[in-house]
Amino acid sequence: MKKRWIVLAMTGVMGLSLLAGCGQAKENNTASKEKTGTDGVITINYPTFQCGVNTAAPVVAQLIEEFNNEYEGKYQIKLEEVPGDANYVDKIKVQLGTGDLPPVVYGGGYNLLDLALAKDLVVDLTDTVNEDAEWKELYSEASLTTNSRDGKIYASSVEGSVVGYFYNKELFAQAGIEAPAKTWDEFFEQCDKLKAAGITPLAMDTAESAWVTQLWMGAMVATSGDAGLEFMQTMNPSDYSMPEMIAAAEKVQKMLQEYTTLDAIGGKYENAANNFLSEQAAMIANGPWMIGDFSDESKTTADFADKVGSAIYPDGFVYDAPIQGYFVTKQDDPKLEEAAIEMVKFFTAAHAQQLGLEMQGMVPASEAVEITDEAKEKYPLLVDFMDQASEATVRSDNMQATMYSNLLDVISQELPRLYSGELDAQGFGDALSTAAAKNQ
Amino acid sequence: MKVLKANKMWIPVFLLPAVMLFLVIYAVPLGMVFGTSLFDYRLNAQEMTFIGFQNYARLLKDPDFFKALSNTVIWILIQCIVHVALGTVIALILYKKPKGWKFVRTAYMVPNIISNAAIAMIFLNIFNPQFGVINSFLKAIGLESLTHNWLMDGRTAFASVTMIWVLFAGYTTTLVLAQALSIDESVLEAAKVDGATPFQMDIYVVLPLLKKIIGTTMVMAATYMLQMFDLIYITTNGGPGKTTTNLPLLLYGVYKGENNYGYANTIGVVIVIIGVVVMTIINKVLRVNEEDY
Repeated sequence: MKKRWIVLAMTGVMGLSLLAGCGQAKENNTASKEKTGTDGVITINYPTFQCGVNTAAPVVAQLIEEFNNEYEGKYQIKLEEVPGDANYVDKIKVQLGTGDLPPVVYGGGYNLLDLALAKDLVVDLTDTVNEDAEWKELYSEASLTTNSRDGKIYASSVEGSVVGYFYNKELFAQAGIEAPAKTWDEFFEQCDKLKAAGITPLAMDTAESAWVTQLWMGAMVATSGDAGLEFMQTMNPSDYSMPEMIAAAEKVQKMLQEYTTLDAIGGKYENAANNFLSEQAAMIANGPWMIGDFSDESKTTADFADKVGSAIYPDGFVYDAPIQGYFVTKQDDPKLEEAAIEMVKFFTAAHAQQLGLEMQGMVPASEAVEITDEAKEKYPLLVDFMDQASEATVRSDNMQATMYSNLLDVISQELPRLYSGELDAQGFGDALSTAAAKNQ
Repeated sequence: MKVLKANKMWIPVFLLPAVMLFLVIYAVPLGMVFGTSLFDYRLNAQEMTFIGFQNYARLLKDPDFFKALSNTVIWILIQCIVHVALGTVIALILYKKPKGWKFVRTAYMVPNIISNAAIAMIFLNIFNPQFGVINSFLKAIGLESLTHNWLMDGRTAFASVTMIWVLFAGYTTTLVLAQALSIDESVLEAAKVDGATPFQMDIYVVLPLLKKIIGTTMVMAATYMLQMFDLIYITTNGGPGKTTTNLPLLLYGVYKGENNYGYANTIGVVIVIIGVVVMTIINKVLRVNEEDY
């Protein structure tokens, strides 16, 4: 009888422990909402993927330290490391589903702002920005477009995305090319020259949203005329079957078939980067964040950095748009919202943008931010590129930043078919349009 | 009799924790998956809207769904037939204990204990169009004209991806071999006495006695294919086009790309239904739940 009671008690404990697990979760959830400590300090829990080996990690760590020092006794940022940007996006999406977002979210290149706005979870920063002349000055026209919706400012950028392409000066010289092409016709002539000299002209990719390849494609669309440029400047475009897009797809088909390495088809960005860094290809489209790789001896030879030149795209085009910045989410505690606004202001101030430039070569979001001598000395290729970019006549955001997120996979799946000829340019455009229509 | 009756009363009590775990971990989420499949449930919408069976109606008009469905069914068939047959044949060879059978048994199991991510990376390199083993071999024997991008060419992608898993039937071999080794010697002796050849013994005596375990391995093979995600995701991500997209990959694309949770859960419900149907067919055809004798 005694044995039975022991067994019954143990069964009961097991059952209760299950229930206790559920109760604990609720308790933890409540605890996470307790942002104000007994000492009156408001804690901002800040999850970020800009940690560990992420290039922006040292900048974010420095900013957190400076913020915590400046607001000591009032506000405190508590960093929560979420390694990997895809994991971060997944985490924010799950939290969006529950309506329990962290006070500050970094929109990055993932357009999290629109998702949060659809749930009415974002704090309107318009009045706060307009009342602060220093903060307001940092918003360029492009920055306002990126971070505003329906005339209201919701986010603040720290980093810009100025993207052209890099070329190998030595390989260009071997092919008898003196300078980067000014027009697309000249560009394709240069590709032919490189090919004739036994050099693969382009490092490209098709996997994982085909970052490098879509940069070439977008540049051709943007420089095809007003309609093409308007398409590139439209958020979530749905018609990829337009003539400008089809013409660009035809050229990309030619580039994949004739001017790139075999492993570009199905290859990721890393393959493309490796082909450029190992001098297997003469050109790669990419942003200034790649400059560090040119002198990284674990990735390339010691003298490789000296061989690299930078250029804007033919027909005077450069990708130039601030990356969607930080936004504040609605919280039960108004004091926490105030703290979060202070954090966003601090993280996107001129000082923060300069810090990013000096520490990691990050392009400032605002043209008002001065490029310091320290940055010029540390990143001469970046400064040279920025000078060229300032003379560009056509500008837009990149295709990835504006397209519906389901198209990122579709573009990767359809580019190999475009290469093999299974799809023609029209079919490629139609496939993207069909996928875009699924978001309506 | 009284003791037996009293003991029976305890059974529900002891089952309670397991039942609760099942309810919390499987049954409730499964119910939620079905429930939300009846809603327009998107991340970029403020509220869920009840739309009845509209998501199911969309499925019937979605060419991507039919491509993913046919790929999934073909892979289930290939896995249940080719993969299980291969594992069974190897088990029938090994059960006669030829020289080195223990080594082969262990070695054949190795690919099954390597993580799928690592296997996918290995095959990405094997099929690499520039420096992969296959193209290098073809070039070495003068068949350069046959070299191409195996995983990204629509004509070979499906077959290439299938090769990544179909040949590695270590689990099937291990299970069938264990069952074969446990067959009563007297049954085999009786067949020998009746003049059966080794081939006849395999076909008419051993195989029928392995029917249930073969049924079990078929169920395992089918469920493996219904869950297959990582190997395809890493190697082709469902491409080129939708050539190698299966239902789990389609579900993930709808969830992550379109942020359409309601439609993704509709695909999830279809996967569950296919699973139940396939299990039922295999159990019925091979009479897995019936006694042999």
